[in-house]
Amino acid sequence: MLQDGITKHRWWIAMSAVALVLLVIAPYFLSPFHVRVGQQVLFAAGLALSWSILGGFAGYWSFGHTAFLGLGAFTASLSMSFLAALPPLLAFVVALALGSAACGLVAALLAYPILRLRGIYFAIAMLGVSQVLAELNNNLDFMKGSMGVMLPRIAPRSVDPAIYFYYLFLVATACTLVIGFAIKVGRIGYGLVAIREDEDTARMLGVPTERYKTMMFVLSAVLTGMFGVIYAWSLGYITTGSVYRTDFSLNMIVYSLLGGMGTLIGPIIGSFLMVVLTQVLLGKLLDVHMMFTGILLVAMVLLAPRGIVGFVRDFRERRRGRAS
Amino acid sequence: MPTIDRRRFMETVGSAAAATAVGAPFVRRADAQAKKIIFGGSVPASGRAAETGLNVQNGYLTAVKYINEVLGGVEIAGEKYQLELRLVDDASDPARATTLVQRLIDEGVDFFLGSFGSNIVLPTAAITERAEKPMVQSGGGSDQIFTQGYKYMFGMFPRASRQFISSVAFFKTIQPSPKTISVIMTNDAFSKTNAEGAIKDSKAAGFEILESYQLPEQITDVSSVLASIRAKTPDILICTTHDVNSLLISRQMASSNTNVSLLYQTLGPQLATYRETLGKFANAIAVQMYWDPRSPYKDPYFGTAASFFEYYKANNQRPIAYHTAGGAACIVTYLEAMKAAKSVKPAAVRDALAKIDVDTVYGRVKFTPEGDGDPLLLGPAIGQVQKGIVELIFPEAAKTGALIYPSPKWNEKV
Amino acid sequence: MSLILQTIADGLVLGGLYSLAAVGFSLIFGVMNVVNLSHGVLVLIGAYISYTLWHVFGLDPLLSIPLNMAALFAFGYVYQRGIIQLAVDRSSLLASMLVTFGIALVLRNVLVLVFSPDFKNVTPSYAFNSLTFAGITLDFVRISALGASLVLLTVLTAVLRWTAIGRVIRATAQQELAARLCGVDARHVYGLTFGVSAAFAGASGAILGIVVPFAPPDEAIWTINAFVVVTLGGVGSPAGALIGGLLLGLISTFTSQFIGPAFPNAMMFLILVLMLLIRPAGLLGNAFSGSR
Repeated sequence: MLQDGITKHRWWIAMSAVALVLLVIAPYFLSPFHVRVGQQVLFAAGLALSWSILGGFAGYWSFGHTAFLGLGAFTASLSMSFLAALPPLLAFVVALALGSAACGLVAALLAYPILRLRGIYFAIAMLGVSQVLAELNNNLDFMKGSMGVMLPRIAPRSVDPAIYFYYLFLVATACTLVIGFAIKVGRIGYGLVAIREDEDTARMLGVPTERYKTMMFVLSAVLTGMFGVIYAWSLGYITTGSVYRTDFSLNMIVYSLLGGMGTLIGPIIGSFLMVVLTQVLLGKLLDVHMMFTGILLVAMVLLAPRGIVGFVRDFRERRRGRAS
Repeated sequence: MPTIDRRRFMETVGSAAAATAVGAPFVRRADAQAKKIIFGGSVPASGRAAETGLNVQNGYLTAVKYINEVLGGVEIAGEKYQLELRLVDDASDPARATTLVQRLIDEGVDFFLGSFGSNIVLPTAAITERAEKPMVQSGGGSDQIFTQGYKYMFGMFPRASRQFISSVAFFKTIQPSPKTISVIMTNDAFSKTNAEGAIKDSKAAGFEILESYQLPEQITDVSSVLASIRAKTPDILICTTHDVNSLLISRQMASSNTNVSLLYQTLGPQLATYRETLGKFANAIAVQMYWDPRSPYKDPYFGTAASFFEYYKANNQRPIAYHTAGGAACIVTYLEAMKAAKSVKPAAVRDALAKIDVDTVYGRVKFTPEGDGDPLLLGPAIGQVQKGIVELIFPEAAKTGALIYPSPKWNEKV
Repeated sequence: MSLILQTIADGLVLGGLYSLAAVGFSLIFGVMNVVNLSHGVLVLIGAYISYTLWHVFGLDPLLSIPLNMAALFAFGYVYQRGIIQLAVDRSSLLASMLVTFGIALVLRNVLVLVFSPDFKNVTPSYAFNSLTFAGITLDFVRISALGASLVLLTVLTAVLRWTAIGRVIRATAQQELAARLCGVDARHVYGLTFGVSAAFAGASGAILGIVVPFAPPDEAIWTINAFVVVTLGGVGSPAGALIGGLLLGLISTFTSQFIGPAFPNAMMFLILVLMLLIRPAGLLGNAFSGSR
């Protein structure tokens, strides 16, 4: 199935390869500020993709994915206290593994009870989970959430950290995209679509809904946790409030919705547009940027509920309809 | 095939449009001919930290306006300069602050002013340190800011754990001697390090710490803590909480009739809105005052603290707070350092800042080797709200009023 | 023992605030299945309206409640028919959640622009009185808030139970199609329901403004509180909002007193998650198709 999938989407794969090359050489032509924006775009896209694996593909919209961002970030940061003897880069890699694993573990434990819920209840339950973790993180002394944790520099002295983390995020997002693709064109992908459209019927027809949901939940958590760790190291100093952010949870959904829910290119387009837009607005219209974001959100839901990809598809369908 | 062409076209047009939109703000403007010193930075003009963030911003704005308009600019090493401020609103969000500060660095700003709130100052300091640009700030006192080995960061406040030295000295002068102290803190870096400093210094001076209470960062209700305090009442209750939280605590204390002999809040009563809201109930509450318009300080630009206050009042609606003077002092300190270094190059100015010892409208400015304010010179005086204004009651040299102790009960306040 | 009594008293009084703030949210969720993430900002608007009336006309906030409710009723009706209905028609219910979130952002920004980001307070002369009896001390304003909650919730229950419009609302909530077949203009009913919900949000805002200092960022907190109350007590009924609110208040104060003052929020969310896992319909609610 994977083979067929690759052949069917060969044009997209080729375009992605070209894009990847462009992204790799981009830092040499851009100012440090633009590299930083690029970093943010890649981070946002990676998060949106990780979320989409559960939300877009399976239709389980989690409103609390920042739980895994924070859990991954803090597990990794706290583990630094006994990884201190290692060279910073190696310590980072080990911490990354530990942080992602912790997210996977927690997700696996949560999966059975929480995936019972559907729709809005699932969304709110995940929001609750993220808030519980955030509160515990901030108020339990040993978690160091309120005092914060300083993280060592891993970029070599000669390299601008903005560029270093740009590449780290690029690698992470590219991997996430590849994983997402493999899922989408494989058997699991079809199963997930079935779950999204009509879970009960899918189950009756023999799709292993429980197994697939759990796998995607855990995978989504692990990937989000990974991004959380990289983000933490890119900040250099984290407190509860830097990584347990409800606006991150919301952004993941908004970017996927804007681009096109359930697609792979959707989250990427959505992230790119929103991050760039926010950066431009930040500079000029700071007083009203929140209002603009809100208006954009409302307009999006009312005018283009299937996102940009959906909009383009509809547009083409109508053109085809008119032509015939 | 038509579909691919159109798709490609839309992509190209789309990316061109996006690139223009991103690039537009950075199109260079032709620079004005006058020589300028540009100070950059972010302040929280919106969000949770805005109440004091705006006060800090006003300090920067007032100083620059005064120096440009009243003094006609400043002369450094024989050259005349006008001052320019590039301030952005970080909305009390550290991530936004760091991005905006980075942009300012890219635009070529050499000298930075700090935001308000240790959680914002610390990450922005990391950025300016990396870019080797000095930052002088009057908004972050958390210990971590000064223990990172930063060379380019200077703060007007002594570090949080040292901010209590003068307060404990004050407690010792109170008659009849208080014996017990309880502390309320919130779970954030500044409040906690402040509280830890308070507890450590109080114990060392022989006071007994009855209880310390940890609250979440955002509080809506403290009834349980107050019930405990009524059951186990200290002589002095210290709150190392931020403005909004301090106000909530005072309000609930008043309406639950929870009385202590002295209520002492690190932040809160210095704000006019706080005192207006509580009205007569604000009387007898003590606060740390880093500055007061009646302070006897002299300044090479403003003359005296009083004249600074007059100029501020003439140009601003917003009531003054000590953070405003602190902000103005950052600019003054920078200019004095530039004069001493006879240069406007960041590295030279940085070295001059490390050695500086100058009288400003805010006080005598001198930094420790780690960059925070000298605890004796820049440490807080103690104030107490009396008849709606804050009188200074400690140290002796700065006194404008006498301590009211023990505090009248809430329902007896006039 | 008296500490426990005090904690119970504090909890009930705090709970009164929570109930009042959540009843509107519960109504919308129960009747229209819409999660209104702009609920908190409506509460805040109520607080700001009272603040403005108090500052400009010296009108006592409790007396301003009818004005508050009228203004927000009108706003809510237009909001629902204009924007939310469109969102629900064109997209999924989850997406309508996002629309309300977008509106919350817009309104929050407007509040900042109009009133500045500084926190505000409404302090009528009785704002600091306290009552003491049987060894328990209570905040006078909070008790009146509890009283106001009970009054308003009783009124709402009466309206829903005994008036024609209340029956229509309940009918539409139970079976929209059947109600329409009987001639009910469902959209109009939804508009009214939202208007009522907004009106109650405004009333609670008026009371809250006396009790706590408020600023635009607080809207998120009040929305989340409403969530937890509704999850605890059950969706759709004022009784559910009352029970949920009082429970939340008690949980809050008991956690603060006996586990630690830093943990009420954590406990609140933990209870939210557990309730969703065990009994998503809440204590008084009816089983919902969204969960099993």
